[in-house]
Amino acid sequence: MTKLSFFASASALCIGLLLNLGAGSQANAAAKCIKGDRKAPYTIGWANIYSVPTWMKQTQGTIEAEVEALKKQGLVDKLVVTDAQGDANVQIQQIQSMIDSDVDAIILIAGSSTAPARVLADACAKGIAIINFDSLVDTDQVTAKVNTDSAQWGDQAAKFLIDAIGGKGKILILNGPAGVSVSDDRRKGADAALKAHPDVTVLAETNTPYNVAPAQEAVTSLLFANSEIDGILSLGGALSAGAVLALDKQGREQVPITGENARQFLELWKEKDLKSWATMQPNWLGAFAAYTAVQALEGKDVPAFVKIPLPVIDNSNIDQYLGRAADFPADGYIYSPYDEELFKKLLAEQ
Amino acid sequence: MSTVGSSRQTGALYWPVQLRRNVGVRGLFAVVMAFVVAYGVLFPGLLTGSGFAKFTQSWFPLALVAMAQAILMLTGGISLAIGAMVSLGAVIAATIMTGPLGVAGGAAAVALTGLGIGAATGLIVVKLRLPAIVVTLAGSFIIGGAALLILPRPGGAIPEWLSDLLAGNTPAAFVLLVLIVLLWKLYLATPLGLSLYAAGENPVGAYRSGVPVDGARIAAYAISGLLCTGAGLFVAAQTGSGDPVIGTAFTLNSIAAAVLGGIGFLGGQGTMRGALAGSLLLSLMISVMFFLGFTPVAQYVAQGLIIIGAVAIPQFRKVQQ
Repeated sequence: MTKLSFFASASALCIGLLLNLGAGSQANAAAKCIKGDRKAPYTIGWANIYSVPTWMKQTQGTIEAEVEALKKQGLVDKLVVTDAQGDANVQIQQIQSMIDSDVDAIILIAGSSTAPARVLADACAKGIAIINFDSLVDTDQVTAKVNTDSAQWGDQAAKFLIDAIGGKGKILILNGPAGVSVSDDRRKGADAALKAHPDVTVLAETNTPYNVAPAQEAVTSLLFANSEIDGILSLGGALSAGAVLALDKQGREQVPITGENARQFLELWKEKDLKSWATMQPNWLGAFAAYTAVQALEGKDVPAFVKIPLPVIDNSNIDQYLGRAADFPADGYIYSPYDEELFKKLLAEQ
Repeated sequence: MSTVGSSRQTGALYWPVQLRRNVGVRGLFAVVMAFVVAYGVLFPGLLTGSGFAKFTQSWFPLALVAMAQAILMLTGGISLAIGAMVSLGAVIAATIMTGPLGVAGGAAAVALTGLGIGAATGLIVVKLRLPAIVVTLAGSFIIGGAALLILPRPGGAIPEWLSDLLAGNTPAAFVLLVLIVLLWKLYLATPLGLSLYAAGENPVGAYRSGVPVDGARIAAYAISGLLCTGAGLFVAAQTGSGDPVIGTAFTLNSIAAAVLGGIGFLGGQGTMRGALAGSLLLSLMISVMFFLGFTPVAQYVAQGLIIIGAVAIPQFRKVQQ
């Protein structure tokens, strides 16, 4: 840590000199897209793809809180928010407007994994710090990308479930919508563990939106068809809540189930005393993106990809999560706690 | 070429007639002008070459789909497959243009697909006398599925030079739009073009007067399809890649632009310049609201109010008269 902060301050001091010399050593190089001509306080643009889902609202909440903190430090003076209402073309136009109005940083969740690439390259060429998180774009013309590992999500979930049912049995797999990269990647991540255990039989798989009602409906019909189910590999929090409710309504015994930090699922977990495991896509990825953008603008070196370790919820810490439940919306996600120390550590660890 | 039509258009009546056709959309034109001025004031960079280029690029695909929808609505039809056609055009361009067929082959494939699917839709609607809304809704699933088959995940590529040419810092998109509007004017002077309004407003009367009603309607579907896949090609060039669901939002936006531009649902009502102004307003609103610093929620409300205002002002005056 001391070594790193030494390097950071050294680079901040030397950056002007290095630019004049026209040569920078690797260790002191500024992050991608950063030219060093932008001065605090900065304007941050938050190019949201869709603001309606609760997960998005909570994510925006963490961004706003982080910006407030950065304002107090005199680093940020304005947050500009756009909402593309799910339309990738509109998101491109809004990012273009952010470039036109000369924001200093753009943080975004992409509406298409390819479409924003060219407009982001334009922004990068103008020295705007770009932090892309959650839903990523296939381009290297950004300052940094931030995400958890969806394949790891699926892998860890599958391993827990196989272990919980004693390495053999009949299971259901609940997926998010088909053709969506997060849902695809989580499912693919589960494959290796399932193949390694031929005694685990997959009775059926579902594809539903990440909502309770459709998942409950899908599981209910599967329960009629399958009298014997040993476990449920659910690859989404609301899906798990739907499955637990379906079992409950049918008067069936609860089985081991995986899930996510959806408040409703965690509350059911406690209430029904489930054998469960959950992880999450932390909402504070948004706050972290805003923080990272400012760090990059301040001349700190920022890794091109920041992999966020998946926080795990199990019986040992579920009470800590539920203890904070009142601070979160009823249909929301109870994310793990975060602070600036964690952000510093995440940036340093890469 | 119809001599009757061209002599009428070159006659002294041409301009008065054209002005009278603007009556229903004067309010919209005023609102659009106000937005253009506001945009220029808020963002002076609009008046630079690249600023103008970037703005027209974000408007261009919406302008094309607005025209694609308007031409159908003028004949009394409608299409719910506009967005799927745009997606299909985009994925075809992004998969073929960097392959052995090259840009010319890709552009030809995009154009033929658009014309072909459009004509096929037109034949089904016109010859089998099926409701356009049902045929194009079913068509949107088939076409959208085809786009997903060609490119299951976003990907593909467009040659860099083509992206730079169409969506770089030159007003190529605007020049193309002007050319397309001129072509539309030319088309209206052909027998099929002349039949367009008649086929929409009073198909039976037009048929009895010897107007090729079926031909005009099928041609309208084919042209509409071409405009959609062309818009898809442009979106692919603009984004440098193909995305099988990139067009989804264009279906509703094309209808909104056309209706905002005074095109009636019953056929024969409205002008193409109205539809273009409608699409321009929808596109301008996004940028102007951004520069006004509206929050997303305030933007929803303001958008709704502006659209109602633009449609209601001319009606309001009519009532007063």
